Amino acid sequence: MDETEAPTIVSRFPLAGRASPPRPDDWVTRLGSGRDRDQAIGELHGLMLRAARHQIARMAEAHDLGWARREEIVHAAADEATSAVLSRLLLFEGRSRFTTWAYKFAVLQTAVEVRRSAWRRRETDLTALGEPASTTSGPEAMAEAGDLVRAVNESMDHVLTEHQRHVAVALLVEGVPIDVLAERLGSNRNALYKTLHDARVRLRNDLTARGYLGVTTSQEATP
Amino acid sequence: MTSRSRNIGALAAAQLTVNAEPYLSCDDCFEQVDVQVDAVVSGSASLPPEFRAHLIGCAACREEALSLLELAAQDLDLDRETVLARFDRALVSHEGRGS
Repeated sequence: MDETEAPTIVSRFPLAGRASPPRPDDWVTRLGSGRDRDQAIGELHGLMLRAARHQIARMAEAHDLGWARREEIVHAAADEATSAVLSRLLLFEGRSRFTTWAYKFAVLQTAVEVRRSAWRRRETDLTALGEPASTTSGPEAMAEAGDLVRAVNESMDHVLTEHQRHVAVALLVEGVPIDVLAERLGSNRNALYKTLHDARVRLRNDLTARGYLGVTTSQEATP
Repeated sequence: MTSRSRNIGALAAAQLTVNAEPYLSCDDCFEQVDVQVDAVVSGSASLPPEFRAHLIGCAACREEALSLLELAAQDLDLDRETVLARFDRALVSHEGRGS
């Protein structure tokens, strides 16, 4: 095809292939009130299917769900993401490629549902999370864990509220996904992350005051 | 008060004490993840401090950002490993940029 020739809509946005360079105005116009709106919605749904399949393929916890359940999640996520994009179309500001903006809805929908499905058969009893099983064994491992671990344990008891302690243990010691914990607690990801963030601040302040952590001189995060 | 013996392990202790300042909510992270991902795909090797801090502190948002990064890189026929390495450097780097 002559490179100066305008590509067809289908060739620009193949359903199962890769998205082309950004043409946000095209997408917004076509999905909003364009004459080929139905076709554009179909193409958008194809992109959402691609993003959902990509997300589910990279999640180890999806492997045990079985093919049928994975397909169910992919299609449900693509449907939800398509609706989410259409309902937020006027909020798209063109600060990113339209496709990148749209993909994020499918990625989120898929990731949340995979986490919830993978944990659906597992009980998360928050009242039992105060005393998780030891993750260290043997004298060498115990020595390696060292003073900081013991100090963190002490700080958790002294400076965290019961709710902060339960959330922190569930998320970071037991490995409960944040979406799963939110569902079990009737909460949401935002609220639980804020609880975890506040718990970290309290722990860091206490450990710093006790000499286990260096004083942070900036607001820069350290991994 | 006697401390409970959780034996949480060194990894959990590190995650419990990670510095995730400045604060950014998961919703605000979601609002800008496409913009930041496209910036990294386009060659930027830094992230706004609050976005970077959030990805360090939130495993779910980090996983989803990485997935989005891979998709965006595929769209531009970019090498996945190169883009992921750039993203890793941006997460480690303290040289944040404005959002």
